[in-house]
Amino acid sequence: MKVDRRLIVHFDWVLLGLVLLISMAGIVNLYSTGSGFAPSGAKTLYMKQLYWFCAGLGFMLVAAAVDYRFIVRNAYWIYGAIMLLLLLVMIYGNTVHGSQRWLSLGPVSLQPSEFAKIGLVLVLTRYITNNQAGEAYEIRNLLVPLGILFLPVVLIARQPDLGTALFLVIVAASMIFFIGVKRKTILLFASSGVVLLPILWFCLKDYQRERIFTFFNPERDPLGAGYHIIQSVIAIGSGGVLGKGFLKGTQSQLKFLPEQQTDFVFSVFAEEWGFLGALVLLALFLFLLQWGIKIARNSRDLAGTLIAFGVTAMMFWGVFINICMVLGVLPVVGIPLPFFSYGGSSMAAMMIGIGLLMNVSMRRYILQP
Amino acid sequence: MAKERVRLTKYDPGTFRGRFDVIVWIVFLAFFFLAGKLWFFQVIRGDELKLRSESNRIRFQEVRPLRGQVLDRDGNILVDNMPSFDVSMIPELAKNSRDVLERMTFLESERTDRWKRQLERNEDRKPFVPVRLERDVSWQNLALIESNAFHLPGVVVDVVPVRDYRFGEMAAHILGYVGEACCDETNGGSPEGYRPGDMVGKTGIEKMMDQELRGASGGEQIEVNVNGRKIRVLGVMPPRPGNTVVLTLRADLQRICWEAFREKAGSVVAMDPRDGSVLAMVSKPSYDPNLFNRGISGEAWRKLLEDPLCPLQNRPLLGLYPPGSLFKLVIAAAGLEEKAVTPEKKTFCTGSHVVGDRTFRCWNRDGHGSVDLRRAIVESCDVYFYELGEKLGVDTIAWYARMFGLGKRTEIGMPGEQEGLIPSREWKMRKLKEPWQIGETVSLSIGQGFILVTPIQLLRTYCAIGNGGVLFMPRTVDRIVSPGGETIRELPSEVERILPLDEGNRKFLLSALRDTVHGERGTGKALRELETLGVEACGKTGTAQVVKLGQEDQDLEKIPYKYRDHALFVSLAPYPNPEIAVMVVVEHGGGGGSVAAPIAREILMKYFKMKKDRVLPAGTEVRTSAGAGGAG
Repeated sequence: MKVDRRLIVHFDWVLLGLVLLISMAGIVNLYSTGSGFAPSGAKTLYMKQLYWFCAGLGFMLVAAAVDYRFIVRNAYWIYGAIMLLLLLVMIYGNTVHGSQRWLSLGPVSLQPSEFAKIGLVLVLTRYITNNQAGEAYEIRNLLVPLGILFLPVVLIARQPDLGTALFLVIVAASMIFFIGVKRKTILLFASSGVVLLPILWFCLKDYQRERIFTFFNPERDPLGAGYHIIQSVIAIGSGGVLGKGFLKGTQSQLKFLPEQQTDFVFSVFAEEWGFLGALVLLALFLFLLQWGIKIARNSRDLAGTLIAFGVTAMMFWGVFINICMVLGVLPVVGIPLPFFSYGGSSMAAMMIGIGLLMNVSMRRYILQP
Repeated sequence: MAKERVRLTKYDPGTFRGRFDVIVWIVFLAFFFLAGKLWFFQVIRGDELKLRSESNRIRFQEVRPLRGQVLDRDGNILVDNMPSFDVSMIPELAKNSRDVLERMTFLESERTDRWKRQLERNEDRKPFVPVRLERDVSWQNLALIESNAFHLPGVVVDVVPVRDYRFGEMAAHILGYVGEACCDETNGGSPEGYRPGDMVGKTGIEKMMDQELRGASGGEQIEVNVNGRKIRVLGVMPPRPGNTVVLTLRADLQRICWEAFREKAGSVVAMDPRDGSVLAMVSKPSYDPNLFNRGISGEAWRKLLEDPLCPLQNRPLLGLYPPGSLFKLVIAAAGLEEKAVTPEKKTFCTGSHVVGDRTFRCWNRDGHGSVDLRRAIVESCDVYFYELGEKLGVDTIAWYARMFGLGKRTEIGMPGEQEGLIPSREWKMRKLKEPWQIGETVSLSIGQGFILVTPIQLLRTYCAIGNGGVLFMPRTVDRIVSPGGETIRELPSEVERILPLDEGNRKFLLSALRDTVHGERGTGKALRELETLGVEACGKTGTAQVVKLGQEDQDLEKIPYKYRDHALFVSLAPYPNPEIAVMVVVEHGGGGGSVAAPIAREILMKYFKMKKDRVLPAGTEVRTSAGAGGAG
């Protein structure tokens, strides 16, 4: 197979370097959560994450190698496959009930909702490139995207994983707003949102409402539901300017901090590396996001712009929501910190996203308008 | 495609320039906000929060509840909790932990070597944190350690409650087993709220009744110092133990069924036809549920999974078999209801029946001669039913089969129950894209061909014929009792439907089943021994073909195991108002009358002997049966 030499020349080393730096910091941080009093299962999580990262590099290369125009053309198939996976999760979970699976430690378990994020970006790209109204979108242009969005959101919300379902809505909204929406339409959505909100409140489960209550007042139940937020804030704050040092975070090492490997992984980092460490990490993320925006901006076609923008939006919201969560600014909704939180599917999906960014970046000189 | 490509390339990157400028700033602002928040917590409030983290000494520790007991209907304990012992070492107290291990000369050296390695693996831990050396230590070793405790500083024994399945493999399938919650059970926000490490029922009653059995965790507020060492307990919220589940099962009968079934593979179910209560449920081969208590070893698990006889399968609910001659009763009922036949209608059985170019044989190759419906049932004449089935047609047969509860789940409530299959014209067209053949109706008439049912379905159908036509939902749980002994709720029997069967016809069928046992040339004569106890029984034999063998009447031993026929037998007693029904399936056992019926005989003999010996509490005998008034 002949590879266009320009693809190799224009390989995006900066992007790869940034992702390497952030992921390595993440794995080192996971190592820290696995020491001390951690249960034996948590001790090897960093190794697993490392394996996933290596596998992710492979996915990234594949996602970068196939021309993104080809990927976009087949976006509906990808979307369909992911919906199928989500359906399988639902059916399988109901009938088998894991009565015997608990022993099969071998095979990896997948979380299709993570891949749904990428699938959504691709399928929206496909829809918009073929239906660019040339001007701002109105209600009738939005019906199909809403339908596309509805299916995964309902399937994921039923799992139940309300956080990820809302996350999909936010990413989709970012892309649609990027294309532009008529003011009248925005007003319509805003007003219907105001009407729907109280109805939604009654649909929530008790424990979900509980989470929202405690979000507004964590001291309400300091040893129960508010415990997470209080402990997280103590962990972050006690890190001070310079941090307590690697493996020395008392909050995390003494198990005060819950969900250290997933939702609250940033708290561990901020406790051990302090304000300066956190700033460096934020700077790396910021660099990565701005780089993504640059790729979107420099793309030669609308599809490239939308893919790059969508993936960047996905990363941005992941970082922003997760850190807001651990800082007590947003309720704990279970959104992982990209490249940092433990989770094979999340890591793989993020690396595929990076591969797509790379894909657009590498081809900016090849495609002639 | 070409059109798309044009669209994809017709693009002016300048369109979004303004928007991109805005987005760049939005991202900058968002990060500025995060950095500001961090500044607020880490720099401005840093010292205050650092103090708080140092004085952060109150931690919440979960205390797990005891799981509920499972009792049989007479109050015998089927599942209980028993202590299991873990040996741990607190390095700090041991001073020189290696020395302490050396002193355990009374244990095998390979065990102490393993413990040493365990200690080395955990060397980086704080010295006051116990290192677990071994789970589930044997009584013998425990006694040795305890009696030498004085010389073994730092060695501690923890008591962990585990499940004690008193009946072991005898009742493994119906009771189920527990394991650590994992995978989908612990997924975030699960309404049941399982956490990793929680013990949860994986199958059987343990799973079905998990919400009742599991109880609720309590907690301990403990104060720890800066190093994480526990200083004292501040407050305790005791856990709420699980409720006791009382089954409809009878432990004595379960044991009788288990012992009576000596064959390799198959099942026995005993049911009370008067309310659908399951009295015993045996599936063979079985496994020891106690193996799962502390996590089954990979090797043992693989052995269970790879066994060709599938010991994990609960055969009464999951085993699918052609019903064989047991299906003839449904055909007879359909024939009577549809007026396609009367009890007096006679057919001449020559030993075979020809349809088109195919010859269908009666099991009696010499033929039964002139038979009426009663004799056809009693002697299980195939030709009579070939003709009747042909007259009824496949779709009428299928309708009656479903109305009699076949080919659908009984909703007993246990995981994995199979549906089975009742073929029809429409089904065959849909699945196989082929029209129905008349020859297939003929096979169906004697319960062969595509038809598949589970033993519990068949048993339920016969129970309904015995009890006046009421199809009950099988019932395994009688009531839920609190740990304190008060009944929380009872689970009454539920009626699914009344059979579409005239009472006169039902009585006729039941009396024919009686004659199958007690009449002349009946196929169920093995049960005649019950007459010595003054009991009359009803029965029906079935031999379900697995494959069609070219030569019939082959010696059973010469046929490969997997091609041998299944032996089926169902029995109801006493006639005419049965209080117990027994379904026996012997997989690849051969003939129903010669293999399965003697098992049912043994069970019923012991049951009625026991009943005679047992002083029954007042009221048990007059327990009302559902509409079974004075049949025969």
